[in-house]
Amino acid sequence: MFWRILKKDLKRKRTMNAILLMFVILCSMFAAASVNNIAAVTGGIEHYFNISDMPDVLVSMDSESDEEKNIEKLSGIRGIKTEDPIYIYSSKYFKLHGKKLDNFINPALMISDGEMGINYFNSDNEVIKSVDKGKFYCTTTFSDGLDIKEGDEFELSIDGFSYKLEYAGIFKGAYIQNGAACLPYMLINSEDYDNIKAGIVTPFRSYKTMFIKTDDPQAILDYAEEKDGVSAATRDAQKSIFIFDMMVAYIMMMVSIVIMLAAFVVLRFSIGFTIQEEYREIGVMKAIGLRNMSIRSLYIVKYLAIAVVGAVAGFFCSLPLSRIMLGSVSKNMVLGTENGVVLGVVSSVCVVAVIMLFCYLCTRKVKKLSPIDAVRSGQTGERFKKRSLLTLGRSKLPSAGFLALNDVLSAPKQFLIITTVFTLCMLMMTIMATSADTLKSPKLLRFFNTPDSEITILDTEILGDQLTKQGGYKTTFEKAQEVLDELGIDGKSGGGFCTHSLFTNGDKTSTRIFITAVRGSIDYKLKCDEGSAPHKPDEIAMTRYAMNELGAQIGDTVKAEMNEDEYEFIITGSFSSFMGGGYAAFVSEDFDMSKAVGNGTTGIQIKLSGTPDEKQVNDAIEKLRDKLESDKVYTTEDSVKLMTQVSDPINAIKKLNMILTVIITGLIIMLMERSFISKEKSEIALMKAVGIPNRSIMLQHILRFIIVAIIACVIGSAVVMPISSLLLSQVSSLLGDVQGIDVDYCPVEVFALCPAILLTVTAIGSFITALNMKRITASDTASIE
Amino acid sequence: MNTVLQTKNLCKTYIVNKRQNNVLKNIDLTVIEGEMVAIMGPSGSGKSTLLYCVSGMDKVTSGEVTFNGKDTTKLRENELAKLRLDEMGFIFQQMYMMKNLSVLDNIILPAVKSKKNSESRSQTEERGRALMHRLGIDDVGGNDINEVSGGQLQRACIARSMINSPKMIFADEPTGALNRASSDEVMNELLSLNRDGTTVMCVTHDPKVAAKCSRVLYLVDGKIVGEKEMGSFDGGEKELRDRERTLNNWLMEQGW
Repeated sequence: MFWRILKKDLKRKRTMNAILLMFVILCSMFAAASVNNIAAVTGGIEHYFNISDMPDVLVSMDSESDEEKNIEKLSGIRGIKTEDPIYIYSSKYFKLHGKKLDNFINPALMISDGEMGINYFNSDNEVIKSVDKGKFYCTTTFSDGLDIKEGDEFELSIDGFSYKLEYAGIFKGAYIQNGAACLPYMLINSEDYDNIKAGIVTPFRSYKTMFIKTDDPQAILDYAEEKDGVSAATRDAQKSIFIFDMMVAYIMMMVSIVIMLAAFVVLRFSIGFTIQEEYREIGVMKAIGLRNMSIRSLYIVKYLAIAVVGAVAGFFCSLPLSRIMLGSVSKNMVLGTENGVVLGVVSSVCVVAVIMLFCYLCTRKVKKLSPIDAVRSGQTGERFKKRSLLTLGRSKLPSAGFLALNDVLSAPKQFLIITTVFTLCMLMMTIMATSADTLKSPKLLRFFNTPDSEITILDTEILGDQLTKQGGYKTTFEKAQEVLDELGIDGKSGGGFCTHSLFTNGDKTSTRIFITAVRGSIDYKLKCDEGSAPHKPDEIAMTRYAMNELGAQIGDTVKAEMNEDEYEFIITGSFSSFMGGGYAAFVSEDFDMSKAVGNGTTGIQIKLSGTPDEKQVNDAIEKLRDKLESDKVYTTEDSVKLMTQVSDPINAIKKLNMILTVIITGLIIMLMERSFISKEKSEIALMKAVGIPNRSIMLQHILRFIIVAIIACVIGSAVVMPISSLLLSQVSSLLGDVQGIDVDYCPVEVFALCPAILLTVTAIGSFITALNMKRITASDTASIE
Repeated sequence: MNTVLQTKNLCKTYIVNKRQNNVLKNIDLTVIEGEMVAIMGPSGSGKSTLLYCVSGMDKVTSGEVTFNGKDTTKLRENELAKLRLDEMGFIFQQMYMMKNLSVLDNIILPAVKSKKNSESRSQTEERGRALMHRLGIDDVGGNDINEVSGGQLQRACIARSMINSPKMIFADEPTGALNRASSDEVMNELLSLNRDGTTVMCVTHDPKVAAKCSRVLYLVDGKIVGEKEMGSFDGGEKELRDRERTLNNWLMEQGW
């Protein structure tokens, strides 16, 4: 009997069931794909490290350093491999088809295949044993933005020395991070390596990396902590380089959760509607003695059928989606495939289980219906709640508008559900928009301890002194100012940079905390979250992460060791920063940094005088590019994008999100409007019978959704900023110690475009569905139950 | 007297499970202004279908339907809707009303929608209240439709059908869902309307209801097989009993 009833129901409510099925498919698809993605990235990192033969500790130091010999003598060491790459400080030293490269900002590192510290993999995920002479592999950071194919010839050209290498493909390494702000790597033949090393007349400063297998990693970390210029990181610490891949996976998971929530709302709506519509059947079933559970199981069986079919279809649809989602990750990693299918199936089964549980809860309404409903047209006579809130006679609204508004106010619970879904859809669009805008906003500069500016120079060759010589920042900023003066650009220059130091507070020490400073002629004032900025040489502000690391508080005195000098600082305040992953300390402008060698920099910032417009900024950038023979002169906004790296992936997700939102909103409207038409068939027929034209009834139905969409837009616009701020703070805390992030947004996009999209989809979706009303005729009043 | 409604060779055919079902067969009918016509017949004889076809609510398969000089079979959907809104009134067996509107708002809705109505909303509301007063339901105007009795609701439906001062009211078993007392009240209102000049066409199973009409048509298998002129009814109890007796005798002759 169940099967017959189910078959009849599936046939009778084809559209509603089809839309519900689509939601289950979407749910299952995104859940399976995102769970697979998260599992692949989290579990995949360990797998990747294992097949890469990643050592227990990585130690880096200056190529000239002889600390290597001391480290070799430390306890527990089982094996050491050392890579001493050649550093090529600018992309402009490479030429492709006679044209200088300008697609990466950091120095390129050339690794010899004779001294590979770990297993590197080619694009087919095969271990690279050796590189043919005259050829090279590179990471995606090197090749991104280039239109290249295997066999293309690159020319390295430095100070009269020239060397040609043929592109052999992409390679990836477990400790190599990819992204615009990361180091590009090249893997070359050992003979080529020797030739290049010998050929470059004035080699750039370079750093070597030791890959150490040890039973006592702590001994190496302790040693590195004591030695200046030696930094060590454990295998576990290296996993943090995949944080961006994780972030994208988690954002996709959030999207699938939102879709699932929307699906639940749709399901709740659909079940509620069906039960309400079938009061007579339910009443009769009760009258003839069927138990509640038997009646509920009728509905549950139907939704189980839809959920199972949807979940299976969703699972198969998740496979290509999963491949696309993992596509960006697999550029950086070698992923195992063993768990993907199982996890996908488990996720889809979970979707079915959650939907069934939800169905069970939703069908509780069956209990409330009694046999008397069958005879009293669903009215028990016990409800005397006022329905109509407005009065047509006193309303100034046009009749269709009045009827629409009255319908919304008369069924607040029903329309509240729709408002909730629309608000979720609206937030899905706007939060992504604000996130993408914020993560490329100059407002973020303060979290990089970077002065307010219009232009940023990120050419590592120009920044070379700052990063390689003691007090090199002075010459870097002086040269920058000279260039500005020479070009007649009225502005100030300067920038932030950080350097390693050993901090001590009582018995706690840390080498994780970077001393950060801003120097140059440019104005900068540190904004503290608590306390005040340092003004004297012996004052310092610290991030909360740094203070927690040292167990210190504002007002405490901490010791710092830098370049073999010891300093004592009073902590005057706490501030937010992305520098050093949130482990940063900021010194006053009077503190002597002349012995500091920069370990990190945010480039040279240029603040133009007055309030320059876009054209003036672009003109200045062009002049600087010509003069410096470098393309790595950016607007500060573009430089932030390079620093945060996540703006572009989030932008891509934003676009996907918009498409999804349009689909989800459209489907919800179609489902709900079909439900309304089916439920209100008698009223529609009656209105037609008394002579109200079809277009007027359609308008009433469309306006209902428009009213709800407008309410959703208002609510969505009101809450988008606090929610964005909260979410961005959570995301930022993964990248650094950041509080009170200022959400940046494009008002037109957030408050006009996104609402316009929602309203347009609502209007079109409800119009198309409302066309079904034409099938209801005045004579249908004769067949109304 | 003017002809309000006329049909010529009116046919209506349904196709059910690939089988042709001729519900109305070549119906010729004329209704004069001020008449109150009852349509009677056994179940399935096509009474309601005839009412829906002549009122433009349903499409005819063939034949002509002229209402107030207009051939309704040639009108488009929107023109038919306008005709129903401005010149016809409808009363159904079930008291169909908009659930989200109060009784008064349900009554005035057609007037608000009608373009021929140039009065303000408050004037329309006032007119609605006056109609309710006339029908004895003026105390339930602000109530929801589930807060009033069936008789009150049916009278509200009559008020709604009257709000645009139609030329003709079509009633499909208007007392079918009511008890005897309510049924009498509703019929008295229809009679009163008819006396004021509104033409009424009413489908009914109840000889007591039909006895109040000026003419009775008897339908069997989609054909008008009998017609009884009853003359106007002045409202006396004795006259009603006599008319009922006469009608019952006639109906028995028709095979009722």
